[in-house]
Amino acid sequence: MLVYALKRLLWMLPVMLGVLIIVFTITYFTPGDPIAAMLGPGYTPERYAQKAAELGLDQGYFIRLGKYIWNAFVRFDLGRSYLSNLSISDEIAARFPITLCIGVLTIFVMAVVGMPLGIFSAIRQYGAADAALTVAALVMNAIPAFVFALLSLILFGVVLRWLPVNGLGSWKAWILPVVTSALPGIAVVMRMSRTTMLEVIRQDYIRTARSKGLKEGVIIRKHALKNCLIPLITVTGGFMTSVLAGSIIVETIFGIPGLGMYLMGGIIGRDYPVINGSVLLISLIVCILNLVVDLLYAMIDPRIKAQYSAKKGKIKKSGGTLPPVNEGGAA
Amino acid sequence: MSLLQINDLTIHYVTRGGTVKAVNGIDLSIEAGRTLGLVGETGAGKTTSALGILGLIPKPPGKIISGQILFEGADLLKASQGKMRMIRGNDISMIYQDPMTALNPILRVGDQISEVIIQHSGCSKAEAREKSEGMLETVGIRAERAADYPHQFSGGMKQRAVIAMALACNPKLLIADEPTTALDVTIQAQVLEMMRELKDELGSSMLLITHDLGIVAETCDDVAIMYAGEIVEIGALERIFHNPRHPYTLGLFGSIPSLDKDVRRLNPIPGLMPDPADLPSGCKFHARCAHACDDCGSGSTELCETERGHFVRCRRVAGGEI
Amino acid sequence: MKRNKSDAPSALADVTRKRGQWSDVLSRLFRNKIGLLGVIIVLLLVVLTVFAPLFTRYPYDAQSFPDRFKLPDASHIMGTDNFGRDLWTRLLYGGRISLLIAILASVISNFIGVFIGSVSGYFGSKTDTVIMRALDILMAIPPLLLAIAISSSLGSGPVNTALAISLSGIPYSARIIRSTVMSIKDSEFVEAARATGSRHLRVIFRHILPNTIAPLIVGATLGIGANIMAISGLSFIGLGVHPPIPEWGSILADGRAYIRDFWPIIVFPSIFIMLTILGFNLFGDALRDALDPRLKD
Repeated sequence: MLVYALKRLLWMLPVMLGVLIIVFTITYFTPGDPIAAMLGPGYTPERYAQKAAELGLDQGYFIRLGKYIWNAFVRFDLGRSYLSNLSISDEIAARFPITLCIGVLTIFVMAVVGMPLGIFSAIRQYGAADAALTVAALVMNAIPAFVFALLSLILFGVVLRWLPVNGLGSWKAWILPVVTSALPGIAVVMRMSRTTMLEVIRQDYIRTARSKGLKEGVIIRKHALKNCLIPLITVTGGFMTSVLAGSIIVETIFGIPGLGMYLMGGIIGRDYPVINGSVLLISLIVCILNLVVDLLYAMIDPRIKAQYSAKKGKIKKSGGTLPPVNEGGAA
Repeated sequence: MSLLQINDLTIHYVTRGGTVKAVNGIDLSIEAGRTLGLVGETGAGKTTSALGILGLIPKPPGKIISGQILFEGADLLKASQGKMRMIRGNDISMIYQDPMTALNPILRVGDQISEVIIQHSGCSKAEAREKSEGMLETVGIRAERAADYPHQFSGGMKQRAVIAMALACNPKLLIADEPTTALDVTIQAQVLEMMRELKDELGSSMLLITHDLGIVAETCDDVAIMYAGEIVEIGALERIFHNPRHPYTLGLFGSIPSLDKDVRRLNPIPGLMPDPADLPSGCKFHARCAHACDDCGSGSTELCETERGHFVRCRRVAGGEI
Repeated sequence: MKRNKSDAPSALADVTRKRGQWSDVLSRLFRNKIGLLGVIIVLLLVVLTVFAPLFTRYPYDAQSFPDRFKLPDASHIMGTDNFGRDLWTRLLYGGRISLLIAILASVISNFIGVFIGSVSGYFGSKTDTVIMRALDILMAIPPLLLAIAISSSLGSGPVNTALAISLSGIPYSARIIRSTVMSIKDSEFVEAARATGSRHLRVIFRHILPNTIAPLIVGATLGIGANIMAISGLSFIGLGVHPPIPEWGSILADGRAYIRDFWPIIVFPSIFIMLTILGFNLFGDALRDALDPRLKD
């Protein structure tokens, strides 16, 4: 089990290396001249060459890539922003906790609201509440988080004036960002819990539990719920990915100074080191999350645990760092 | 008074595609300490009858149309949910066909047995654990395996564990739904033997559901033959085995290979069991029956006593024609 | 009886479908009321956007300064934007772009996904390992971020946006096809075909790929909904399609500046985006149920 976790951690190295190469290559071959943009109009060729040398941009692809890998992997240094000349690692370190906080809260809201509703829906299958929840989930799942954000901004911030719509001044300011990021996820978790619950309560072992004379509540809690958790953890973990990626839009709309807003600034300013660094960090988090999800499986299901322990020598064949199916779409 | 007396039990499944008439007016009774074998093909309504006794018919689509299930004189169909919960696992318990799926994969085997003990005796966790380990020993599994999960057990061991679970509260009635069908032939005999011994030890009655007449011959005191949701022949084991009267029962015996006689081919019953969503009128078996006459296709056929305690649902047998 | 009802039609019988069954699929599709609603929404959108000039009397880029920020009335049913352009017109023309990109991206990513997925699933062993490892790496980058990176590199515009979105979607469609292929590969009729000496290509084209059509169609339809989401997101952050080409996301991005004072410019594009995604999701779900009746009880 521990061996398995270590193997997986080790496997993250080549994955991150691959991610780094992909991202670096994409931005390397991007047309446009960051130096010219930085210097503004009216620079001299000498000044240009000097700046290029200063940033190391006069070197070839492989040398720059090698340096970037060395700095990122060994010194945890992601370079400096073209625009502000500040250390990207420092900037990210300062901003990421905010994004992570919102992400974790989002996941929490998603699970706490979505799961009970889905289970309720399953237990009352074909009832009126089930139908209403099903329709609500369909609609919620069709609205991108940023559209939710804009609409709720109008409703709560402008029309009703209940909640602040910018920054993170008070605890109230967290409500809209978290809720709007969570809504599409609530829909997904709700549907998923409903389907799995319906599946699980048809299983023979539930009938066995019933024929033992257990109370329905105990059967759901003790026998059914835990068996539902695996697919739920998968979608929830997968949704964390979209929440992190979606933070770029949600943070921009609500004016939250997190990683997403930083990345947005990088995109607008064509500040490639910033884009590279942010994408790299988010990918790292995605990899770690996937590992956590897989280890959670083992904690819940003894069969999976046995499987992990049995395959000591090898990484699981079906894939090392599979991000689970991304249900909520991209944004 | 019988331990269990079922009168005119009718259970249907009502779906959009039509009504599946799974059980159509069965009557049977089980005396204390005896074993009744309920025999029939897949789809004859055996499992539905068993689930009906425990009140575990999924509703919807299941619907109990009529009947009484008297357990120690009280009608289970009228019992409250709470009352039924006290009976399930305590007075009546059930062993299911497929041990592979009957145990919860993510709970320890021992805990799954303790659970039923705690539920019905209200004893402490520690006592329940001790008792459940004792039960495992009784069915021939070492006590320390109680901490294992089902996937660490073989099929035969799982079924033993299920049996331990079913017998943990000394039930008065044990319903065993094809308990050995999913097991290897060599294990089948062991498990069956063990069940019989334990049942005798506890003085329980048993309703054994099976399609295997060999098992019935070894295990049961009485036999009921079920076809298309009806009991077509019922009586003491010896009577049914030595003097089977219903053409369907005769057909069942005819389709068993025999070691004594040198037969080149088996004699299967021609045709298939009717679709329970679309049952024929008259005797349900008439379309496959070699002795059917024109009359058999209409009206209803009642059980009739051909000798003491031996009932047959066949007009032509009743009329003395065959 | 009751227990076995759900798995009655065996998996094998189901994969060997014949052409006549497509009419079955259609009839099942149209019997599903919610699915029918999805079909209607999708058709309505396609008709409205493809024949946009028939449904509006304004050109999408006609500015009219005196008509700025008009609330919905008889002449402008959804009001006008900050340049006095008719919002209804812009949303119809914008829908052309959004739908076109979404469909194009879905087709591209599924096409490449089928290729990668079937090679990986069919040949297995080393080929599979290498491909799956590569996909693992791609999937470590959240699709939206990958699309952002590619899009910022390729530049804006409909074709580049379609490319960016389809590239980031390839690993997902490849995985779906791979698992389908792997399950079909082991079924008896494929073994039979191989045992009788059919060549790899023939087995793939004749026996395996036809059976991936159902999941492919479902995946592609659901993918269109997800793509609409991604496109509007990209345009919203200024990467996808740029003004003056109308696109739902970029209309929203433009409208953000006026969010406090003029609601129609946010609300109507949002409704269009929502309805489109809803339509394709319902359509896709209904298709899945219709194509695989085993999933329904």
